Amino acid sequence: MGRLFLQDRLIASNTIRGTFAGWHDWAIATVMLLAALAAAHAWFADRSWMVAAWTALAAGMVIGFGAGRLVGARLAFHVVNGLLAADALSPHASRRYGMAWHGVGLALLAVATLIVRPSLLVVSVASYLAGVLIAGLTGGVRMPKRIAGTTRPGWTLRAWSHRPIAGVVAGTVLLLLLLLPARTLGTNALMAVVGISTMLLALTLTVVDDTIVRFMAIAGRGSRRIVVHHGRGIAAFLAVSVPGCWIMVGPVAAGIAAAVCVAMLLLLTLRVLAYCLHTRRIADFLVSMLAGLLMLVAYSTPIVLPVFALAMFWQLQRRGRTKTWLLA
Amino acid sequence: MNLAVELTGAVVERSGQRVVHDVDLTVAPGSWFGLIGANGSGKTSLLRALAGRLPLAGGSCRIGGEELVGDRAARALRFGFSPPADKLPDALRGRDVLELIGGSIDNVCSRLGKLHEALGLAPLLDRWIGDCSAGMRQRIAIAAAFAGGHTFVILDEPFNWLDPVATFDLRDVLRDRVDGGLTLITALHDLRTLASACDAGLMLADGEVALALDEDALRIAAENPQAFERQTIDRLRSESIAGN
Repeated sequence: MGRLFLQDRLIASNTIRGTFAGWHDWAIATVMLLAALAAAHAWFADRSWMVAAWTALAAGMVIGFGAGRLVGARLAFHVVNGLLAADALSPHASRRYGMAWHGVGLALLAVATLIVRPSLLVVSVASYLAGVLIAGLTGGVRMPKRIAGTTRPGWTLRAWSHRPIAGVVAGTVLLLLLLLPARTLGTNALMAVVGISTMLLALTLTVVDDTIVRFMAIAGRGSRRIVVHHGRGIAAFLAVSVPGCWIMVGPVAAGIAAAVCVAMLLLLTLRVLAYCLHTRRIADFLVSMLAGLLMLVAYSTPIVLPVFALAMFWQLQRRGRTKTWLLA
Repeated sequence: MNLAVELTGAVVERSGQRVVHDVDLTVAPGSWFGLIGANGSGKTSLLRALAGRLPLAGGSCRIGGEELVGDRAARALRFGFSPPADKLPDALRGRDVLELIGGSIDNVCSRLGKLHEALGLAPLLDRWIGDCSAGMRQRIAIAAAFAGGHTFVILDEPFNWLDPVATFDLRDVLRDRVDGGLTLITALHDLRTLASACDAGLMLADGEVALALDEDALRIAAENPQAFERQTIDRLRSESIAGN
């Protein structure tokens, strides 16, 4: 086994140990995993073999393509910024590294397929390999690189989206959008428009850059200040859109807008707290797991939800406090 | 004389843009070569290309007399290189980083010699990098460059983030090692270190050589570091204005 793989395996195992520090973290992860496998098993069992096979083919190719790109990106990192650049530059060592990780990927996919529907094993394994092959062949195709020194409109917009004025503008856009359909659509369709528009606008206001969060943390900003910094836009949006919807469409629309805004604000808080603790990939995984768990609790025992959510946020915030002031 | 490093007409490109143009540079074996220049002048790109981390888009690169311009892996093998401190993996300990590069920690410690103490490594070995400050990460990154026992080492701004005591001790130990045969290439912003510790140097401006400093020039600089600092700052300022 090469040093590159050993290094990444060590990083992965340490990260998993750090992420799932307590028995309750492991319990949550196990429940989520079992629930996901059970749901997939039930879905595949209800479908004809042909439909299941096409689904497995698509899923296998997407997973294989993603894994191929991930391994390629990781190798590129090792070459430029890694500890073992000579190994990453060696064709033999880098090939062994890729084979080792794809071996792990294939093994996990095979186990999942055997649980979900064993007769799909050949399809999922073959499609994974095809995905890896496509990733390898298209590895050289990149979006045109930006030239150093040019402006970055994406970054400028992202920074602007956190300002209160962005929330006011988005709220105004939402109310203008509702002016037209309010006269022509039925109640249900109108509520759907309110929900979808609010969601899309809220998404543009809650973009979180993990590097900015980490920089603010190591520069001594507490998690509350980081959340406030990122949440000013969505807060202003909430302040404009909820009363506006109430006046223009009614209290139900205002309730939908408020629920969407609060949910997005909670998601933003969760992401900020997770980015203080972990790298982007791990944090995103953790956030999706915790968000899924919150939804599960909201669905099964909604009365427990506020206590559960508060405990979750408090725990993350407490762990994040140790990451401030590491700059000296 | 057989040169340790000889770059002729070296060109480095990043994101399709030429960031180092036709740089000529020679480093004698067992010497300390300092590279200075404004932020964005191409120092890091040049050092990374020399160490195989970036491709050289043109010119010639002879290391120990062997032409390696097209062989990045061979260049990466020749040099001990300090990885960017902020890119060290959070989920490893200092010990893990050094062992991955240099084998068992006992071997690494014997290769580090006095550097181990100068960098204050003992308490960092069992510390998670994610829990290290910027200065602690920098110490581990510098040790990483020496963990493999290379005789050619490249350090990119090694004194950044270090406290004054560590800076003083590290400079002394590096000088000792150079006197013992190490060939060291560093990017620097501290002109007094360049004047007092380096054997030769180069100033880059906009990716081009603005000034070459040989042994005699640096000996004069060491005699009057204040005047050298003033002259170099004036030069950097004028190059910066010319570049704009």
